[in-house]
Amino acid sequence: MKSFEWVQPETVDDALAALGQAGAVPLAGGVDLLDRLKERLEAPSRLVSLRKLPGWGEIKVDAAGTRIGANVTLARLADDPALGRAHPILAEAASHAATPQLRAMATLGGNLAQRPRCWYYRAEDFACRKKGGTACFAQDGDAELHAIFGNKVCAAPHPSTIATALVALGARVAIAGKQPREVPLERFFVAPEQDVRREIDLAPGELIAGVTVPAAPPGLRAAYTKQVAKQSFDWPIVDVAVALVMNGRTCKQATIVLGAVAPVPRRAAEAERLLAGAAVDVMAAGRAARAAIAGATPLAGNDHKVPILEAVLARTILAAAAAAAAGNPPGGKP
Amino acid sequence: MGHDDDDDDDLEPAPAAGLSRRAFLGATGAGTAAAGLVTLSGARPARAAAPRVVGPGAVSISLKVNGTPRTLKIEPRTTLARALREELKLTGTKIGCDRGACGACTVHLDGAPALACTTLALEVGDRAVTTIEGLANGGSGGGKLHPIQQAFVEEDAMQCGFCTPGMVMSCAALLAKEPKPDRAAIQGAVSGNLCRCGTYPKVLTAVMKASGQKPDGFPLETRQAGTSAAPPPGTAWVGIAGGPMTAQLRTIPETEAKPWPTNAGLAVVGKPTPRLDGRAKVTGEAQYTSDVALPGMLHAKRVVSPHSHAIVKRIDTSKAERLAGVKAVFVVKKQEGATLVDPSTEKNGTFPKIRYAGQCVAAVAATTPDIAEEAAGLVLVEYEVLPAVTSLDAALQPAATLVYPARVNMGGSAGGGGAGRDLAQQGNLRGPTQQSEGDVDAALAASAVKVSGTFRTQVQTHSAMETHGIVADWKKDELTVYVSTQGTATVRDELATVFDLPKTKVRAICDFMGGGFGAKFGAGHYGVVAVELSRRAQAPVRLFLDRREEHTAVGNRPGTLQTLTLGATRNGALEAVDLTSHGTGGIATGAGVGNAAMRLFPAPVSRSRQYDVFMHAGPGAAFRAPGMPQGVFALDQLVDELAERIGIDSLVLRDRLDIDERDGSATAPERLARRLERKIGADRIGWGQRHAPGAEKGPIKTGIGVGTSSWRRGVEMDSACELRVARDGSVQLRSSVMDIGTGTRTALAMLVAEDLGLRPQDIDVKIGDTRWPIGPASGGSRTLLGISPAVRQAVHEVKTKLLAAVAKKLDVSPGELRIAAGRVESATNPRKALPWKQACAAIPTDELAAIASRPADWQGPRAEGYGGVQFAQVQVDTETGVIRVLRVVAVHECGRLINPLAIQSQINGGILHGISWALFEDRRLDGKTGRVLNANMDQYKILGARDTPLIDVILLDQYVGLTNTDAHGIGEPANVATAAALANAVYNAIGVRIRELPMTPRTVLAALRKGNRP
Repeated sequence: MKSFEWVQPETVDDALAALGQAGAVPLAGGVDLLDRLKERLEAPSRLVSLRKLPGWGEIKVDAAGTRIGANVTLARLADDPALGRAHPILAEAASHAATPQLRAMATLGGNLAQRPRCWYYRAEDFACRKKGGTACFAQDGDAELHAIFGNKVCAAPHPSTIATALVALGARVAIAGKQPREVPLERFFVAPEQDVRREIDLAPGELIAGVTVPAAPPGLRAAYTKQVAKQSFDWPIVDVAVALVMNGRTCKQATIVLGAVAPVPRRAAEAERLLAGAAVDVMAAGRAARAAIAGATPLAGNDHKVPILEAVLARTILAAAAAAAAGNPPGGKP
Repeated sequence: MGHDDDDDDDLEPAPAAGLSRRAFLGATGAGTAAAGLVTLSGARPARAAAPRVVGPGAVSISLKVNGTPRTLKIEPRTTLARALREELKLTGTKIGCDRGACGACTVHLDGAPALACTTLALEVGDRAVTTIEGLANGGSGGGKLHPIQQAFVEEDAMQCGFCTPGMVMSCAALLAKEPKPDRAAIQGAVSGNLCRCGTYPKVLTAVMKASGQKPDGFPLETRQAGTSAAPPPGTAWVGIAGGPMTAQLRTIPETEAKPWPTNAGLAVVGKPTPRLDGRAKVTGEAQYTSDVALPGMLHAKRVVSPHSHAIVKRIDTSKAERLAGVKAVFVVKKQEGATLVDPSTEKNGTFPKIRYAGQCVAAVAATTPDIAEEAAGLVLVEYEVLPAVTSLDAALQPAATLVYPARVNMGGSAGGGGAGRDLAQQGNLRGPTQQSEGDVDAALAASAVKVSGTFRTQVQTHSAMETHGIVADWKKDELTVYVSTQGTATVRDELATVFDLPKTKVRAICDFMGGGFGAKFGAGHYGVVAVELSRRAQAPVRLFLDRREEHTAVGNRPGTLQTLTLGATRNGALEAVDLTSHGTGGIATGAGVGNAAMRLFPAPVSRSRQYDVFMHAGPGAAFRAPGMPQGVFALDQLVDELAERIGIDSLVLRDRLDIDERDGSATAPERLARRLERKIGADRIGWGQRHAPGAEKGPIKTGIGVGTSSWRRGVEMDSACELRVARDGSVQLRSSVMDIGTGTRTALAMLVAEDLGLRPQDIDVKIGDTRWPIGPASGGSRTLLGISPAVRQAVHEVKTKLLAAVAKKLDVSPGELRIAAGRVESATNPRKALPWKQACAAIPTDELAAIASRPADWQGPRAEGYGGVQFAQVQVDTETGVIRVLRVVAVHECGRLINPLAIQSQINGGILHGISWALFEDRRLDGKTGRVLNANMDQYKILGARDTPLIDVILLDQYVGLTNTDAHGIGEPANVATAAALANAVYNAIGVRIRELPMTPRTVLAALRKGNRP
């Protein structure tokens, strides 16, 4: 790891000012950044610690929705009682991320801003497109962990499982900067065709300040599944979040997000269309899941992701339909 | 840059200020947050100063560590782990992966678990840091242990102990939050702590115990053999628990220690005994090789090739040499890997040929690790890159690029591996190593029933929690190395040879080390590099590999491809066995599949041809029962197939096949044991209720399977020790043998205590230093088999002298004296007795001492091998391909059980190694470049706490009457059967055979698609 300066501002303005200099990068939980520095993927000249930014570690749940500061740790996302009641699948996704130690350190902002875990990108010796090179080594290399959709320019799937749940909940991301703004999280992710060098739409000098999640609409039933091969600390083969607005057994509206299968969290639009207006049963779930895998373009070594995605999605759709309505604990009155 | 104390204050926490709280989070009632977010750019209150930028040079900070404010000077890039270890000398916090994936560096920040390797020390701020040293009441200086530490010691929730501090910290954080956690909560709490020795089952038990709950696992079951009486003079006991026990005649030299009674007649040996160094391991006091810090010590970093096949054209070290702080630079001259029989067959110019990505080309030593890393980056190497062969299949192609231009040789290590000298070599194919009996082709052609299969196993890296490392201290009169090794003497021997020093001038020390599993015998290439740097720099040099280097350069279990055919009669009598294997240990030899197919179920006609295939990849090494798990994975699956074909129960078939090939008898100790074990295990797992293959309905199916374990009883005669008894009654045992985590230290103390009527904790065991008599390496399950008879012999010699002295004092004959329960007393006159200390006061000189070598085995019926039987119950999700292991029943014999508690720990570890290999682990090489893609601890998948099944261990006490202890090792046999048992269980669940490891979702789904077509 190359040496660097360090500064810990206590206001957002100071943080933005400190980031204004070339070579300055933000430091939150440090989980991903330190890895990248140690692997010599990056050599910033300055780390701007966000840990002291006031209020950025808070969660606020009210009738209007939920606001979560960027410094909230994954452990708190998993454990916060009010958040768990309001958005159970967010807590579920957070509780399955990484390990207890990493959850205690990693922040929401850092989780969304983390770089992919593609083993070609992570190795200094492979000059891949993400690092300014001209090739994607996964195309004819070992792509077991890689994307099965939208994978031609770069096949690295986005590693955030929290994002899968958040996109399904219609979350928006609040961005601090000279021109503060807020965008739907779904549109915050950048596909490789658009810009292979980054995964999120965050300009230099901008920071993820937090995320807002709208209050659950009446009848929302949701489920999240992270499918792993190993139960203790594993990256997902696929992860899926399903949010159904239900009227009795009929689905009025479906939001389905697929993680670990594309360079950005992927909406399964056709599956959503098939479920809307349908009674959610085994047949309907199966139809939707089949629609979700249509058009998959697996690479060498990851065609297993296709049937696994289909099975996991079908199960998760059924689990969502059977879940308690959001905002109410299981067994409670709607 | 310097900073005075005032500067430090700038880094103290300041009261929170700012507007963004109101802006973003306090904007109640706003329809969207956007309106509030505008003020996210809120200005700093006028009174506050601009934040101070520190670094990149060192800066003074204060940290509250274990309740004490500490001031230290660090660069901003310094992680908390390094600050604790290097600046504050709190070395209980370990670095296993340095990437936040293994949990060895777990500390508490304000009570929450955190990874010190992934936290900058500067980021800690005002949060209270608690390390393992601060967990116990009053720190680690002999105060009262935290209840979880105490429970770890009592339950033996540790082996090598390197992961233990982190594991303890995670458990302590859990207990602070949840006073009565259930099994799932505990598994979750330690799911970020990797333990390569496989202590998870006992960690769960320890947490349950510490929280006052009844553990829900299976208690250890030890079945004792026969009588408590001493064997009649001139005999030794032979038999096994559950079988007959007979006194067999033995010719035992007059000067040797006499046979013991069975464990039923002993006071210490055979009793579950918590390890004596448990306290040191749970408090962080235990000093591992990676914790050694000598005055003036330099830090080394290797320069490695990114190419897997290349010629080094030029190396320019001048820039590195000019960097301030660099004290020595060394360019590698000696070729790694196998040795060309005729060196003139390869001409590369000045530098060794590059044959794998990660091969060392140079190394630097500097005053700090950071300078060393920077300097390594400044060494310019010019390569001529050549085409590489990066898979076994590619290496076997007729026109494949050659790894070696001509014939090579390469020895094995103390733990096995290697292949014979001067075997044939064609292209990248070397061998075969052959064994043959009769005309196999004819016998197979004539067999009524034939089963055959091709099986593939992957490369597994050892992944010990402590990487390979050494601190080399070259001095004019002696070379001293502190080394993370399994064999202090093998390191000494190798360095003496390489540097042309007398053995007496090389001292190798290993007090505590963090796991080896077969990869840490010799000094290694990295060890030679470190010594060379120390010699050049005239200073101690520390060289520890990082996790990437560890996965790449210092050993693995080779990948194999084997075709096995069994021919049998319709009654299930085996007529012929034919095995052909191709294995690859990259640039190394020794990629065979063991002798399981020849030995476990012998046939009158057999043929084994095992080839090594070279490819451009890091060298294989001995790895926990080299070759055997691979061989048994194929053999036990085919035996199951044979049973199905013939239409009999596969355990009945195994009983039928498990006979002596010479006379068809089943009386050899090993065959007798296996029959008992199959019966006990079958009852325990519920074999009788086993359904037909694939018979369960629904997508999630369960199944039961069996695997057989066997390991050769190998005697290491270079096993010596010294016993000293001082006039004050203190007792010390010394040997160069080291404790790899198996509990050798404790076992040796138990042996001495038994014969001297003392308690194990009364014995001071000094091991792991070649200044002491040379003991065996810890490997091949040979440690106690080698050293324990020597220990009893040394005790016997000292005891004889002691009793002579005491007899004189008590005025009795030495022959009537006995030692028991802390007293020396006359067997006939109870008034003639002295407590131990007073008895020792009769020693005529300051101490009595004896150095003993291992007595040879006594003559008696041979006991070639020993082992066990394992049963597994699995659950297979046929839609996702995910396998979960629900339960393993392991029934084993390993001679006299010295410490059943430690044996159980090792069996747990062997099983978990087996599961991890069978389901998860897989070193991935990039096909084009040959680089290891998953040289880390997250994408190289190692089993964790949540993947640990319930394990039911049943130990059968066994005596073969060949030495004065009859102790055998257990590390290897514990690992041999597991993958085969899993594969057979998966078949029972889904009705489809999986002949390839690892059995990942991908391979399972592919197998289900393909069905049982060959």
